[in-house]
Amino acid sequence: MIAAATRYERASDVDHALELLGEPDAKAIAGGQSLIPVMKLRIARPSVVVDISRLDLCGVEERDGALHIGPLTTWAELAATDPPAGLDAIPECAREIGDVQVRNLGTIGGSIVHADPASDMPAVLLALGASLEIRSTDGSRDVALADVFLGPFTTALGGQELVTDVVVPLPAPGSGSAYASVEHPASGFALVGAAALVGPAGETVALTGVAATPFVLDGDPQNAIAAAEIFGDRFASEEYRRDLASVVAERALASARERSDA
Amino acid sequence: MSDTVSVVVNGEPRSLEVEGRTLLVHALRDGLGLTGTHIGCDTSQCGACTVLLDGRAVKSCTVLAHQAEDREITTIEGLAANGELHPLQRAFVEHHGLQCGFCTPGVILTAADLLSRDASPSDETIRHALRGNLCRCTGYQGIVESIRAAGGTS
Amino acid sequence: MSEIIGVARPRVDAPDKVTGATQFAADGYVHGLLHARPVLATEAHARIRGVEKQEALAVPGVVAVLVASDLPVATAGTDRTSEPLAREEVVFAGQPVALVVAETEAAAEDGAELIVVDYESLAAVVDVEAAMEVGAPLARSVEEADDEAGDLESIHAGVDHGQEDDPGEELSGNVLDRITRERGDLAAAFASSDAVVEGTFRTPWVYQAYLEPQVCTAWLEPSGTLVVSTSTQGAFVTRREIARAFDLPLERVRVIAEPLGGAFGGKFALIEPLAVGPALALKRPVRLVLTRGEDFQSTNPASAQVTHMKVGARKDGTFTAIEARMIVDRGSNAGWGVEGTTSALAPGPYRWEAHDIRGYGVQTNRFTFGAYRAPGAPTAAYALESLLDELAEQLDLDPIEMRLRNAFVEGDIGMGGNPFPPFGAVDVFERLRDHPLWSKRDSLPSDEGVGMAAGFWPGGLEPAAAVCRVDSDGTMTVVTTAADMSGVNTGFAAIAAAAFGLAPDDVRVVTADTSFGPYSGGSGGSKVTYTVGAAVLRAAEAAREKVLAAAAQELEIAPDDLEVVDGVVRAKGAPDRSVTVKEIAQKALRFGGRYEPVEGHGGSAQTSSAPSIAAHLSHVRVDRETGEVELLHHVIAQDVGRALNPALVEGQMRGGAAQGMGWALYEELAHDEDGRLLTGSFLDYAIPTAERVPEIETLIVEVPAPDGPFGAKGIGEAPVVGAPAAVANAVAAAIGKRLYELPMTPPRVWKALRS
Repeated sequence: MIAAATRYERASDVDHALELLGEPDAKAIAGGQSLIPVMKLRIARPSVVVDISRLDLCGVEERDGALHIGPLTTWAELAATDPPAGLDAIPECAREIGDVQVRNLGTIGGSIVHADPASDMPAVLLALGASLEIRSTDGSRDVALADVFLGPFTTALGGQELVTDVVVPLPAPGSGSAYASVEHPASGFALVGAAALVGPAGETVALTGVAATPFVLDGDPQNAIAAAEIFGDRFASEEYRRDLASVVAERALASARERSDA
Repeated sequence: MSDTVSVVVNGEPRSLEVEGRTLLVHALRDGLGLTGTHIGCDTSQCGACTVLLDGRAVKSCTVLAHQAEDREITTIEGLAANGELHPLQRAFVEHHGLQCGFCTPGVILTAADLLSRDASPSDETIRHALRGNLCRCTGYQGIVESIRAAGGTS
Repeated sequence: MSEIIGVARPRVDAPDKVTGATQFAADGYVHGLLHARPVLATEAHARIRGVEKQEALAVPGVVAVLVASDLPVATAGTDRTSEPLAREEVVFAGQPVALVVAETEAAAEDGAELIVVDYESLAAVVDVEAAMEVGAPLARSVEEADDEAGDLESIHAGVDHGQEDDPGEELSGNVLDRITRERGDLAAAFASSDAVVEGTFRTPWVYQAYLEPQVCTAWLEPSGTLVVSTSTQGAFVTRREIARAFDLPLERVRVIAEPLGGAFGGKFALIEPLAVGPALALKRPVRLVLTRGEDFQSTNPASAQVTHMKVGARKDGTFTAIEARMIVDRGSNAGWGVEGTTSALAPGPYRWEAHDIRGYGVQTNRFTFGAYRAPGAPTAAYALESLLDELAEQLDLDPIEMRLRNAFVEGDIGMGGNPFPPFGAVDVFERLRDHPLWSKRDSLPSDEGVGMAAGFWPGGLEPAAAVCRVDSDGTMTVVTTAADMSGVNTGFAAIAAAAFGLAPDDVRVVTADTSFGPYSGGSGGSKVTYTVGAAVLRAAEAAREKVLAAAAQELEIAPDDLEVVDGVVRAKGAPDRSVTVKEIAQKALRFGGRYEPVEGHGGSAQTSSAPSIAAHLSHVRVDRETGEVELLHHVIAQDVGRALNPALVEGQMRGGAAQGMGWALYEELAHDEDGRLLTGSFLDYAIPTAERVPEIETLIVEVPAPDGPFGAKGIGEAPVVGAPAAVANAVAAAIGKRLYELPMTPPRVWKALRS
């Protein structure tokens, strides 16, 4: 219930944050809605928490053919956003994450970096082909989100790196996107979540909640699901989840198709 | 190792003496004696610890006291003004929105956040807004009726 | 009086609760307070070889690390009061093994993390049916028949144990109790049936999930009195248990029952020794506030149960025979189990020509079991009411009409051998039968279904006393020691106001502690309004006699010709000849006063209980692709005797129904095969949320209880009993398949649809 002892520092800007994150076992905190719970369970034991929540990294802006979402944008802000054409899945998903209190503080960047294999938004971002701009003391790099998730709670980010932008390419005109999920009745996390993007170029589906990381389905979604490595647990077996994935993917696709010009 | 964090609580400037790891809920309860904010779980789900941070409902068990520096916090004790119950508080009394009362402060503050953005929410909207507030006694209906009643008046 | 009783007034404690002014047990400031953090066993069955304390003791702020031998416990039993910390043998994962006591909660938690316990693993008994078989490892190496703790059973239900004989069944030493209830010729009754159905029904361990985790603070006063401030349903029970365990005279133990943040049966003298022991050992105040995770693991949830049941009926719907074998997982509790109540309630509120019900209380290495709202009843009703629906289907009878045919009425002989008092079974069934939802049940969309079920609770009995005292401002203070779990204080205020003749706003209720309060038993068993309420009524009447005697002298009118209305004593028929209650009080409560203080003491000792029945309609929609069950609507009709305050009664009905929905669809405490808890937080254990509980329509039926205050009964437990079965029957109606295991999670419904 009470975290292990830690220090608190507040970053004044991104460079300062990166400097503070140079300490081994330093952890950045934004909304804290992912980090604080694991600190309270003493699973995470940072030596110092670096508060980046007051940095100028929020806001949602359409620019250069993409939607740029500041990593500190809260779910509440995203849920209230009027999205560009074809990106309905983003506020649709954000509206259902956690609850009112979590959405008021939890951020898109914090969730990505936390990399819970049952988080909802990563599936949406993967289906939409998103990438991250990542800053380190050496400068900036762009990484496709598909290359960021390495395993449960594990990303390709180094300890002294910060996400500074979440970049979602604007889909082709006439596209539609949607998110559908079946939640675990206790945690609210996705037993299975599916995001779909439907457009002139084809259909993309990404899943969350069924494997070590969220992932994009290769080729025909139903075939891909039949062949995918899907895990099960005491509550929901592999057989059930596989069937559920099939159902939820179909529901997301149906909804995305309805929103598209297809 | 103690740090001093300045906050505004229920309209008054206050100082919190905290460690790096101190949660806002502990700072409020133990530091300031504001025990109307309750602790009902340890996984950030029950919502009994809900307070308003700059007017927005947050779970004070999932906020570090340090993060609240220079911000405005409203606890249940700060809702009534000049000895008059807030319309939500009055509604919960009159429309039987509580039984044991342990979840009640958190529920009321979440409702305050909701009503500040949607003055006449539907029952469905109310229930969705209460997802992060668990109640074991009432079956929620009295709570929904109380919030609906307060929505009409506030 | 008619404006007070039956009016939906706000709760008397509501203003304090909505402003955060109510001080729950973890809220009060105590000077010099130490904080305790328990260390819980990580093995389900083991011997403790040693506890490493040094690292913990080195943490700044840690004052002591205590194990069983450090606590001044005087009794040798294995109940949680006598053995608050495991001595040598751990019997469930989560059992408290040590206590770290520190100046701050943070230091206590830092210290607790560093405690290392050396366990020698023993075979863990996790499957209750396997545990019964001869040759099964024993869940507890040393069997102790501890009768002292057996009294806790009687708090919850007054049921006898039937005949305790043992007709040649060979069972292991894990079977601590066998109950046999037999009447009539079972074979003949089944033979005469036109339909016989049977099934095996499983329910898991279920957690009360009160929002306020368990908490207790204990300290020694300079005079040597031990004060125990605790969130409890039973102050006197707690006092008795503490006095017994720590060998203290009763008058040296003072228990203060703080406002309850929910309890539902789980807060009966369980954790107090974990605060009292350190307080006595260290001679400093100690507070233990369980974290939710600790509460999940180490408190006392409701037993898992396996019920094999077979029922028969004739084609006109008359119930013939019921046979049941009910296996109750007692966990590590040697003292008592719900096999007694579940077997007594198995036949439900119905007449049967013959019955043969066996209950088994089996110990395993899973939890200490505890009571949860109508203990043993929802599990029995799930089996019975599911099978009754199958009977109705086979006989092509309306399920409600069939139940009506057999429902108990006043005078029928119940399980206890006594004639039933006035009982609203027929009334509640008729209300549901006439409800539009029932009439349209066969014309719903294909994935929807409506199910019904009933459940009753016999109602508890316990003598009680109360005091009503008029103060010099003419207002009244009602004093009881009953913990207000369900809003009873508001009921007491109405009873006292109505019986005495005051406006309800002029009556306040205080809950006194054990050192000076009039006796009441624990709050539970659906008896507080019935028994303590009756004592309050008599106390108010006694006070009323005093004020009438005084007013008679003042007004020179005979007391029989006077009435008390809204705080005024006046002549009947000539209201201008009057004196106020306040005036009388002021003449009494002063130096040289001429009248006795206007105070009354009342007692009650009812011998006939007041059973309450609740019947439910559940309307569900099933998503056949995902297995999710959506609750669309719920109707509950309950016989409450007399609704002293309809709003409070409805609150109990809705709250109980919602808990039943949790039983039906969401709640399960699961262990792995080594007996470790897998679902130890609200991340894994789902209690119903506002989105998942539908609108609950309440139909109040009043069949007055002859011995209840204004005809009221205790009504807190009946609402949960039939609710899980109603949802199960609704799901069966929706998908055409029945589930024999609760909770009906999406994967289980999905699997049933595909089997």
